[in-house]
Amino acid sequence: MTEMTTESTVYVTYIATTPERLWAALTSSEFTTRYFFGRTVESDWKTGSPWLLRMPNGRVDVKGEVRESDPPRKLVVSWNIDWGAEKLPEAVVSYEIETVGGGVVRLTMTESHPTPIPAALLEGGRKGWPMILSGLKTLLETGKPLGIPVPQPPKERGK
Amino acid sequence: MSRFVHVIYIRTTPEKLWDALTKPEFTRAYWCATWQECDWEAGSAWRLMIPDGRIGDSGEVVEIDRPRRLVLTWRNEFLPELRAEGYSRATFEIEQVGDTVKLTVTHEMDRDDSKLIDGVSNGWPAILSSLKSLLETGTALAVTSRWPDNV
Repeated sequence: MTEMTTESTVYVTYIATTPERLWAALTSSEFTTRYFFGRTVESDWKTGSPWLLRMPNGRVDVKGEVRESDPPRKLVVSWNIDWGAEKLPEAVVSYEIETVGGGVVRLTMTESHPTPIPAALLEGGRKGWPMILSGLKTLLETGKPLGIPVPQPPKERGK
Repeated sequence: MSRFVHVIYIRTTPEKLWDALTKPEFTRAYWCATWQECDWEAGSAWRLMIPDGRIGDSGEVVEIDRPRRLVLTWRNEFLPELRAEGYSRATFEIEQVGDTVKLTVTHEMDRDDSKLIDGVSNGWPAILSSLKSLLETGTALAVTSRWPDNV
């Protein structure tokens, strides 16, 4: 039997940038292609609008709806993963941006699961977010991508 | 059991990261102006020193395998309520991943709802973010460059 969970994942990182630049890095492909495993991001980022993540090969593997949009402070999106093999329950991802002084911004990413998900999927997120958000910090602070090797999605079969 | 885990990827080498975690000239820059007193041998005493001369935390080196793995016992020394919780355990694991280095810090204690683990859960993300900035840009983050007032 697959173990199920509704645990959240929280990742906090501090970045030498401005809230406006961090917001831009979260919401524009010019940035995301260089830290989010090559993916572009598409949305007008208004509350209620659709959003999606598109892989370099053109396939959309994450999509959802903008639940809350308060630039440059808070963005909440629903998160539906399509890895082909099975339909996974919708998750919610929120990004909170706070100024902490000294030219530093705190980013708090929370991935929550209103519907239980397999524990292995939670572990996947817990492996992925540190790579993505470490890369985001490096890109904003140095202007260059971090270059972590791209991990392969676990359930690409059947496509 | 209380446990905090933080993973961060840094563009550096395992050796440089090891030095940055253990040598005073680095820790003073990114770890709230603190430094550690230790000869870095298994079984040796370990202390984290606060700039005003107080001992912040103390323990001993449980395991050491430069530049891959360091395990410390860790008891708070300057806040009586936290000191009373006794020893926690901090594990630092360093792995090369492509051109980057993955650092995993696990800080845990054999008691539920530990106030020490709650405290370090707030501290580690700021300190490790600042460590990454120092190694990648040469400058630590202002937010962790000095010991906080009134602590």
